[in-house]
Amino acid sequence: MNDDLIEQLRAIVGERRVLARAGELRTYESDGLPGYQKRPSLAVFPGTRDEVVTVVRLLAERSIPFVPRGAGTGLSGGALADEVVLLGLHRLKGILSIDADDARAVVEPGVVNSSLGRAAAAFGLHYAPDPSSQTACTIGGNVAENAGGPHCLKYGVTLNHVLAITALLPSGEIVQLGNPDGETDGYDLLGTFIGSEGCFGVALDVTVRLTKNPQAVRTLLADFMSVDAAAHAVSAVIAAGIVPAAMEMMDAATVQVVEASIYAAGYPTDAAAILLIDLDGAAAGLDDDAARVAAFCRAAGARGVRSATDPDERARLWQGRKKAFGAMGRLSPALVVQDAVVPRTKLPEVLAEIHRIAARHDVHICNVFHAGDGNLHPNIAYDPTSADEAARVHAAMSEVMRACIAAGGTITGEHGVGLDKMPYMEALFTPATLAAMCALREVFDPQRRANPGKVVPVHACREWHAAPSTREAAWR
Amino acid sequence: MAMSEAPARDHTATLVDEVRRARADGTPMRIVGAGRWLDAGRPVRAERTLELRTLVSPEIVHYEPGDLTLTVRATATLEAIDRLLRAEGQWLPLDPAGGTGGTIGATIATASAGPLSSAFGTPREQVLGVEVVTGRGEVIRAGGRVVKNVAGFDLTRLMTGAWGTLGAITEVSVRLRALPAVEATVAVSTSAADAWHWISASEYTPYAAELLTPSLARALAVGDQSTLLVRFGGNESLVRSALQSVSSLGDARAVDGEVWSRLSVRDAADAAVIRLSTRPSRLALLWERVTTVLERVGGEAHATPRRGVIRCIVPTDASDEEFARLRGIIQALRVEAQFVAERLPASLWSSLVPPTAADNLSRGIRSAFDPDRILNPGILGELA
Repeated sequence: MNDDLIEQLRAIVGERRVLARAGELRTYESDGLPGYQKRPSLAVFPGTRDEVVTVVRLLAERSIPFVPRGAGTGLSGGALADEVVLLGLHRLKGILSIDADDARAVVEPGVVNSSLGRAAAAFGLHYAPDPSSQTACTIGGNVAENAGGPHCLKYGVTLNHVLAITALLPSGEIVQLGNPDGETDGYDLLGTFIGSEGCFGVALDVTVRLTKNPQAVRTLLADFMSVDAAAHAVSAVIAAGIVPAAMEMMDAATVQVVEASIYAAGYPTDAAAILLIDLDGAAAGLDDDAARVAAFCRAAGARGVRSATDPDERARLWQGRKKAFGAMGRLSPALVVQDAVVPRTKLPEVLAEIHRIAARHDVHICNVFHAGDGNLHPNIAYDPTSADEAARVHAAMSEVMRACIAAGGTITGEHGVGLDKMPYMEALFTPATLAAMCALREVFDPQRRANPGKVVPVHACREWHAAPSTREAAWR
Repeated sequence: MAMSEAPARDHTATLVDEVRRARADGTPMRIVGAGRWLDAGRPVRAERTLELRTLVSPEIVHYEPGDLTLTVRATATLEAIDRLLRAEGQWLPLDPAGGTGGTIGATIATASAGPLSSAFGTPREQVLGVEVVTGRGEVIRAGGRVVKNVAGFDLTRLMTGAWGTLGAITEVSVRLRALPAVEATVAVSTSAADAWHWISASEYTPYAAELLTPSLARALAVGDQSTLLVRFGGNESLVRSALQSVSSLGDARAVDGEVWSRLSVRDAADAAVIRLSTRPSRLALLWERVTTVLERVGGEAHATPRRGVIRCIVPTDASDEEFARLRGIIQALRVEAQFVAERLPASLWSSLVPPTAADNLSRGIRSAFDPDRILNPGILGELA
């Protein structure tokens, strides 16, 4: 069956664009989370929209499950294909149009986030969602995860920047979601598709909103003698109603790792925590807001607040933040990253709790995160070959997640549930809610062939299913 | 003010029973919130009403001002929410037509947005989570009360704007904003083309920038020509500079901020209301044509250029002759524009407005959440 499928796929995309040998498939065993390895049965890389459609229709005809994948930078194990077909979309790199008058672009799913940003720059525009992986991650992947990034604090997440999608359902049917030419009514199918983690189909093209570059930007770096003080500064700024473009926190462990790496940004290495804050918009009034933010930081106990004086310094300060996960590669071979979100007034108490959990399990947690949104990224570098260490890391992370849920938070703010966070879905949602999610998935993909086994634990879904899909099992 | 917890889950269980009984009986129901906007949307084929206010008490479930989020039972009115928030220096920038007497649940269910959507987006941008009693008689709790959340499939967006056809919204969590230090509203007489040029090129993002037809400007006493009504908020120097900037369009006259409330309750009870939309850069052309038609027939319109949306208000009475005339007017207006009807005489819906949830996905979703079509049947023009 597999040989036959390989031949059929090669006839569509060409000999070299179907990988089936174990060695070739190794690259696709992991996404951005090195802790998980799952090998696809084969990988296919269509190069055009028509090829994508033909491939998906072939898979539909043969009832074969598949996992869509962009650049594979995800941090939830969402793009892993466990003995099923991996559908790589990164070759669809076309920026089909940029319309400066209406500040929008139409792109193919494999366009890299920062490539779109560069193309828009010629028009004084940019694409606002800026995940830290933006130099590699694709717009299709961003849509699948409803990706965020530091500047989503002010500008919103992917959902807020997508106007329309031409989607290919797992059945091979093409549907238009949203409307680039005006309002739609009826169900918000576009909003429902965004963030569906590849379970509802793949985007063939995406119409995104571009954002005018701000007239002025102020970047502040505040350094603190305690994480708690930094967390209180964040709460104070938010409560005062100032909306910085971004407000990021890094703790001492993160700062030291970054400063020891090639991404050294000039952060104070003796600080317990730093806040990196961008304010942007019209020049008028911006300095007033910056002064207020600096005052809140000092009042909360900041040792110093400095302002980036030129664009180069600003870029350097931000590069350190965006490459922090990469810099952690220096510590250990594997990394777990969580993505919980808590109400912003709970930041000080949740961070203190995370600290206690780390101590209890003797693991080393680094915190680098979107403080302004309450979106935590506690991460632990560890050696997966040590069973004991891996077990302690797992136990600590699971306690962190439960603490965040108990604080009124959620388990993922921008990375998606994927494989990694499925065990927590039942702690967050009632059985009826999970069942409703399953029912929604079945509308888009009655056979549950697209990204099987992700997002919602299947056993949670049994109740609503009149006829559960068995094809997934048959293919395996 | 500290967090305030609702004492009990009021009568959600009774609501569930009602829905289950309706399913068993096959009795379609019309969901009613404050009952102020029942003439919006298509006629509903219902045998009885589901009065949410008798089953869901309008309580605050969770409000911690420092989080800038609010969780409230769905029957709370926008007015009550506004009162609560203003005491803490905060607000919820949702200003649907019809004023603040409507409920938050209905605002979310209908995804109704007003001029503030220019800067703050429509309800889908502000809702963080919902509790819903589905047409299957199940309580689901989607989303949450944090400002960023991608856990699971997005049932919150699905319920927003579903007009109750998937379930009755019983609780809502929304994102809040702090009130600005300074707010100002000005009116400036301008063409739509100049207004769009200023809006798209300006460094300033007004809270609202709403174009008014000459007749509407006169009715609101803010001008006698095509007028742009602009609302700014922010710190003092920002607002001062923004006001200077808008003066480049012409004489910017200071206007009392209550003009926005008057605009939101402006529609005559029996007027037909439709929305036309296009790409923002093409709005000026559409506006010129729409204005010409409406000024001739005694109608009014206001537009949110940044979203490319024009809301047309056409007076009508109930005579058959009048319906024929109204049909002609609407057909003239909707050329080369996306068309969404808000309120029409019952007899015009089916002939003028195609069903909005007739595609396979929408039908599948309806079947999954309300298999027996007992909630607001007909309101989306769906086939039975």
